[in-house]
Amino acid sequence: MTLTQPLTRRVIDSIPIAVFVALFLYIGLNSANFLTLATWELILKQAVPVVVVAVGLATVIVAGGDDVVSGGIDLSIPATATVCAAIIADQLTNHDTAVAVALILALGAAAVVGAVNATLVVRVGMTPLLATLATSVAVVGVTKVITESRRIGVSDATILFVRDGRIVGVPVSIVMMALIALAFWHLVHRTKWGMHLQATGGSRDAAEISGIATRRLVALSFMLAAFAGWLASVFVLARGSGSSPGTEETLLLEMVLATFLGAAFSPRRVVTVWGAVLGAVLVSALTVGFISIGINVFWTGCIKGALILLVVASAAAGRSQ
Amino acid sequence: MADALLSMRAITKTFPGVKALDGVDLTVRPGEIHGLVGENGAGKSTIIKVLAGIYRADGGSVKIAGQALPDVTPTAVHAAGVRFIHQELHLVQHFTVTESVFMGQETATLAGLSRRAMRRRAEAFFRDALGSEISGDTLIRDLGIAERKLVQIARALIDGQARLVVFDEPTAPLSSSETDRLFAAIKRLKQRGIAMIYVSHYLAEITAICDRVTVLRNGQNVCVFDEVHPDSAGAMVAAMVGRDIAALFPQSDRAPGCVVLAVSGLGHERFQDVNLTVSKGEIVGIAGLIGSGREELIDVLYGLKRATSGRVVLNDTPLSLRVPADAVDNGIVLVPRDRRHDGLVLNMSVSDNVNLASLDEISTALIERRAKGAQKAREIAQRLDVRPRDPAVVARNLSGGNQQKVVLGRWLTKGATLFMLDEPTVGVDVGAKVEIYALIDRLAADGAAVLVSSSDPGELVGLCDRILVMLRGRIVAELATEGLGVDHLVAVTTGGQAA
Repeated sequence: MTLTQPLTRRVIDSIPIAVFVALFLYIGLNSANFLTLATWELILKQAVPVVVVAVGLATVIVAGGDDVVSGGIDLSIPATATVCAAIIADQLTNHDTAVAVALILALGAAAVVGAVNATLVVRVGMTPLLATLATSVAVVGVTKVITESRRIGVSDATILFVRDGRIVGVPVSIVMMALIALAFWHLVHRTKWGMHLQATGGSRDAAEISGIATRRLVALSFMLAAFAGWLASVFVLARGSGSSPGTEETLLLEMVLATFLGAAFSPRRVVTVWGAVLGAVLVSALTVGFISIGINVFWTGCIKGALILLVVASAAAGRSQ
Repeated sequence: MADALLSMRAITKTFPGVKALDGVDLTVRPGEIHGLVGENGAGKSTIIKVLAGIYRADGGSVKIAGQALPDVTPTAVHAAGVRFIHQELHLVQHFTVTESVFMGQETATLAGLSRRAMRRRAEAFFRDALGSEISGDTLIRDLGIAERKLVQIARALIDGQARLVVFDEPTAPLSSSETDRLFAAIKRLKQRGIAMIYVSHYLAEITAICDRVTVLRNGQNVCVFDEVHPDSAGAMVAAMVGRDIAALFPQSDRAPGCVVLAVSGLGHERFQDVNLTVSKGEIVGIAGLIGSGREELIDVLYGLKRATSGRVVLNDTPLSLRVPADAVDNGIVLVPRDRRHDGLVLNMSVSDNVNLASLDEISTALIERRAKGAQKAREIAQRLDVRPRDPAVVARNLSGGNQQKVVLGRWLTKGATLFMLDEPTVGVDVGAKVEIYALIDRLAADGAAVLVSSSDPGELVGLCDRILVMLRGRIVAELATEGLGVDHLVAVTTGGQAA
């Protein structure tokens, strides 16, 4: 390796951050109230479902390695979140089920998705990208069967409390998001179990030689991701006051963008839980920012897609150096 | 012997068709560094894998500190205090030193990992046990190779339960100053009463640090040196090589013609300032241990890796080799060392494999003419005596020797000027070896220039006209094979003796 390569690598690594900083500067200069407390409360509230699915994805990537193609990835988390939201909404609105029962039913559905993913990847040996893409499509199909592709409104008190409630002045959903993020961070980055998970993703061989049960850990990471999908469903319901078809598409885009963007902020350039949280908040800020300066909503998807490409390409280029 | 720490007796292990270990004894005394040497295929790694519980021996017994191990499993061996430092580092690039040392054996409380305590223990271990100052917060990717090796050692020993440590070729990727650093650490471990098995091809290292040495040859322990001096290397080589390699090689009178390949001042990360020539009708050998730069030299000459300096001239034309296609277009071909991965498309038929490199010649207007291809494959199969003779057989189902013939056959259809063969006979039986040697000899007799890179010294001496010896990235000797002893070549290759 020659001496110039680390420099090239540093430049490539910092491209995503530079682009984000430029975007925020642009938004900040063009929108007077972008930097107010109210705007940022809105940004955080909008970010909640993305944060929750992104920490789930981060857990899978930590366990499977951050190679975009062969490493760990779970594209089915947003689909899990929407199917859970559909089940809860359907039960509450159309069947008058108690909220706890509806939640438990949804949790059962999430567990099935997680178990299927884990089996496909660990037992059958499929590439996570393909396995979870397939389950995602199947789960979205189930959602359509449940909802008949229609919006189901929810007026349950618990869900409305998550939407509107405040604890010492802070919106409930933001408090819950913080607690969930902290719990995942502790589990993945501050426990022995989490170190074993990181070792598994870092080098499967090294972890196995150290006596770590890598297959079980990878399987559990998919279960945790499905659990995160279930948690996110509550916020999806609260944010939309019910279940709406097509929610998973934006969520998927923002989840992937947030998680890989998080890696660009980590000092070691790897996917982390807190990086995913930060990434999700920034992506949400971008969405709100675009709206506040009046960019056509239809362009937002295009810009986000380009940003995903940029972040993932920069990670791939950095690796190949 | 009652006072032995490790006593392996009459270990036997048979793989399909090969007796890898045939009644091997290995005894390690407490606190000694015990060398284990032998040529490739002598059984070194097999016996280590038996000790590790990776292979199950067919016969024999293993005792550790007088206790018989009825069932040699990885867990039982670990519990008995045996640790392995594998040749591969098995580290996570983005982990810190502390995280790597404690991988799989972290200490934690309910509040989370005890990061500070682990870091202090790791740093203290580096300082006291290995004599090295390494910060626990450094990332593995920022460490040199020698330091990574020390991290690997620390991971095996940090629990303080180790009584016997097995080093498998620990210095292969290291430079000589890095090697000294590793040896300093090994000597400190010895002072702490830890016994070691040291497996290495480098005899100079074996004689420098080992107390006793066991020599393996063809799956048997041919002798044990109870005292090791710097000049024991010669006797070890004699024991390793044996005297029975003759008669495998063709005896032809080839007269080398004009120079075909001339390499001057070639450099790369892993080798420097390489000069060599190969003439028409000449077979030139390259000898060198793992890490000597031998493999990388071949890769550079084939365009798989880029040279950082120097010139490659073929038939008076300077070449710029950036990708293998550049080499092939100019008539340089390679029979790669890993034929299963690089040499053959295992799921394709013999016919398709043979024609892969010369599709142009059997195609008309870009359409592949299969009948013509099959005819060509049949000719090659006949000429090289590939068995089974049917070109429709899928390559995966051929034996190693026959697969190698198919790889060679592909280039024969192409009509190359320089043939490079990397480890041409690894994993093939003796009968196939003889055929491959005869084939290589005929290639040269027909006017090709041949460059053979091999880790088998007997093969090089028997087959080649000249041998270039590489050691730690440099060509250190050029030996004519006329009257050259295999033991002399081994001694030069292992750094045990200057040319």
